[in-house]
Amino acid sequence: MSKTATGTSTPSAIEFNSFAPVVGINFGNSYASIAVLGKDGNAECIANEDGERQIACAISFHGEETYIGNQAKAQLVKNSANTITDFRNLLGLSFSQIPSPSSPPTSAPIIQHPTQPDTPAYQVSVLEPAPSPLKSTANTPAATPRSEPVQTTRVLTPADAATIFLKSLLTSAEAFLGKKVEAAVLTVPAWMSPAQRAALASAAKDAGIPVTQLLEEAAAVASTTSHTTWTDGVEEGTEIGADRSQLVVDVGATSSTISLLSVRQGLSYVIASSTIPQGANAIDDKLIKHFAADFTKKTKVPLTVAPAPASSVADQRAEARLRLAIEHTKRTLSASPGAATCSVESLKDGMDYTGSINRMRFDMVAAPVYSAIASAVVELLASAGVDSKEVGEIVYVGGTGSLPGLDERVQVTAGFEEGEVVTPFSRGIVQGGGIGDPTTILARGSAIQAAMLAALPSGTAEDKELHDVILGAEGEQVRKVKATTRTIGVLFPVSEDSDVDGQTRELGGVFVPVVQKETALPTRRVVQVEVALPAEGEKRVCLEVWEVKEGIRIAPSRPRTIGRIREPALRPTRVSTRPFL
Amino acid sequence: MAAIQTVNVAIPAVPSSYTTPSAPSTSRLSPPHPSGHRTLLPVGPAYVNHLRLSLHHAHNFSSLDKHLEAERERLAAINAVANPEVDDLGVGSEDEDEEVLSLDPKEWKKHDYYKVLGLSHLRHRATPEQIKWANRKKVLKHHPDKKAASAAPPSDSAFLAGVNLNTNDDAFFKCIAKAYEVLSNPEKRRQFDSVDPTFIDMEEDLPSEKEVKSKNFDFFKTFTHVFDLYSRFSKAQPVPGLGHIDSTKEEVEGFYDFWYNFDSWRSFEWLDKEVNEGSDSRDDKRYTEKKNKTERARRKKEDIAKVRGLVDLALSADPRIKRIKQQEKEAREAKKKGVSKTGPVKKSKAEEEAEKKKLEEEARAKEEAEAAARAEAKKAKAAAANAAKKARRQQRAAEEGA
Repeated sequence: MSKTATGTSTPSAIEFNSFAPVVGINFGNSYASIAVLGKDGNAECIANEDGERQIACAISFHGEETYIGNQAKAQLVKNSANTITDFRNLLGLSFSQIPSPSSPPTSAPIIQHPTQPDTPAYQVSVLEPAPSPLKSTANTPAATPRSEPVQTTRVLTPADAATIFLKSLLTSAEAFLGKKVEAAVLTVPAWMSPAQRAALASAAKDAGIPVTQLLEEAAAVASTTSHTTWTDGVEEGTEIGADRSQLVVDVGATSSTISLLSVRQGLSYVIASSTIPQGANAIDDKLIKHFAADFTKKTKVPLTVAPAPASSVADQRAEARLRLAIEHTKRTLSASPGAATCSVESLKDGMDYTGSINRMRFDMVAAPVYSAIASAVVELLASAGVDSKEVGEIVYVGGTGSLPGLDERVQVTAGFEEGEVVTPFSRGIVQGGGIGDPTTILARGSAIQAAMLAALPSGTAEDKELHDVILGAEGEQVRKVKATTRTIGVLFPVSEDSDVDGQTRELGGVFVPVVQKETALPTRRVVQVEVALPAEGEKRVCLEVWEVKEGIRIAPSRPRTIGRIREPALRPTRVSTRPFL
Repeated sequence: MAAIQTVNVAIPAVPSSYTTPSAPSTSRLSPPHPSGHRTLLPVGPAYVNHLRLSLHHAHNFSSLDKHLEAERERLAAINAVANPEVDDLGVGSEDEDEEVLSLDPKEWKKHDYYKVLGLSHLRHRATPEQIKWANRKKVLKHHPDKKAASAAPPSDSAFLAGVNLNTNDDAFFKCIAKAYEVLSNPEKRRQFDSVDPTFIDMEEDLPSEKEVKSKNFDFFKTFTHVFDLYSRFSKAQPVPGLGHIDSTKEEVEGFYDFWYNFDSWRSFEWLDKEVNEGSDSRDDKRYTEKKNKTERARRKKEDIAKVRGLVDLALSADPRIKRIKQQEKEAREAKKKGVSKTGPVKKSKAEEEAEKKKLEEEARAKEEAEAAARAEAKKAKAAAANAAKKARRQQRAAEEGA
């Protein structure tokens, strides 16, 4: 956007020189990612200075060095006391609200802040460089040597840690874009209270990120899946309708969230959602137990992990090493169907370990976690009163979401027939950093939303008003809408003796649904149909407008669901027929 | 603007016995979820439009449609102003179809260069600038380095999965280069235009004698078209047009004059057979050369004969020629009749005759007057000379006397 000297913006063409100065940040508990918008309008995840697209949320202090990201995670092995992880979930919580940890901490423990009351903090020991010697007035022939760096302790609140981390993300983004970031959208989990969100917003502000909006994770998914690129490249036959119900399975590190969204021509809302405490860490625990047992069998060295006993430092270190190694194992398993190796140098007592696992074995090991997630899906659908037939699409979020074993288990348990529901696996877009890549969906959705919000104020005065409404308090009120409870459609009557299937005969005609249930109001739908004209007699087309009740009918002969049957509602409404000539 | 969903369901015709059912007055649509039951996710352009609808347009869809349309136009105008269309000299953009893309550069003599460069709508009328421009466009599109960098469209064969079929495939690029080489050289371009296949196709449709004599033959339409076709070969431009039914005698005669002396640059070197340069035999080469020469001469002769035949045909069928001949005949007859004084002549002719006579008389009178004047002048001169002579004689006599 060009601005004249007086500061008013002239309406110039919206041009982005290669990248727009907007960024979307997915700030999770264990991993974060950054996405920017390319010139073709597609959002892409970018890598930070270490070349990682998924940046571990960890900060580590080692002597005079500060490590952030995956390098910090590697410090968990030998320097766990000075490594801070999982700080996002503590933002905005006071010390008394934080539950005491059940297992011995694997990273820097949370303590009460020495000076601020009821505030959590981390205490790390760092080496501060010694203060430089004072300039002495006397002429000395040789310079005073600097003294050794001093060992000090540093106290950081979770907010401080978040600020340091977000600042590093911002630096990576600006290094990639080559210019300052003007607008950013951060993701925030749905369970965060307003106080926690405020704490997150202030931490981001301290980091220097111009946060436009804190976007809920479900909204970020909706932003990606209602973008035009989501439906690009869909093959013939697999339809992703503009009106559909979408199941979002977000498998994080410490917890998993299942949400059921109703997507109606770009407008989405959450019908129901639930959270379970199992996530990728639970799978990791099972996996490292498996590998530990394998190690013990091979080398006769006892090893107890997950949880490693507090007494044995060697076991704790071994566990940390194993956790780092299985990251690579899991990524390899997601990418290729063959076997994946897990190799650790000097796991315990100087013994190396190399083991391999294939997909089938992995699925067996992770089966309890898969079933927990699958049962959560079933419960959610039951509580929402939605049958699995009515769900048109499943979207997976999170690194674990790229495991095909999870997808199979969810589909089988929840009763999805193969080929009836569209998943990123069925579309083949999970791998290769494609549009369906579960690790990038949240960041990309945030970037798209950031770009849209940044473009709004540059339009008319009305658009500026919309921008303020979306972000302001008034926006909360406007978001609440009425929605339809039943599907409304059009019935084309047919004669009794015509050759039609049983359902059409029962209804008395061909039913074309126009406005689905769970559509936000006000809404408008335009449907185009081809109707045959009668061969002789008056050339006319007649249609009736009906509201129908939808349900699932189970045929008595085969006790399995065979399809949806619509019955006209017992109270038909505004039936109108118009003869067309 | 709402997206139109197309439903692909076969809907049979309404039965003839169908009558409109009556709905009880108590029928109502089910009440929706009460407000506040559902909270929209504030993402996406659909949400922004929803806000617009609620806040600015009071839930009126047509009002929102109008607003969005106006917005779209406004943005289009801004973008058009910011990026003015670079003047492409009327070349336009012509996408190549499959067969053009698969041309073999080794068969360059058979290619249609205008099609290769995307100028098939201009052909021989393309100016050198347009050719340059079109060449540049095509080069940018089909440069092999650019193609190798981009991904090739996926092929169906699993065998070729993962293979970038675009790697440095420069066959079409070679065709473009050759086309530009020929069309930018005026000599070669002339040779190529002489045997333009589209022209040769049109040559097949020339009118024949039978057609000309048929009843519904539109002389002007057909022959204007035909002469337009051949006018491209004229060295002298612009070529006089056929004109219309009321063209003057000068125009018609000028037209036929031109076409009988038609100077054409058409030559048939392009169709020469390849001389076998590698062969050591001189006779072989000379033989081919000779054949080419005779072929060229023959074709040129044919061409000239065709044009001449065409002009003859036109002359014979031209309605204006008859009219002009008629006029001339009458003029001649009137002249003849005008010499003899008696004789019933037409009124207009009489007037013409009278005028002519008057003019002649006037001319005669003038002549006579002049003759008389000359005679008088002569007399006067003679008299003056005599007088002078006399005076001189008298003076001499007087001098002698004294």
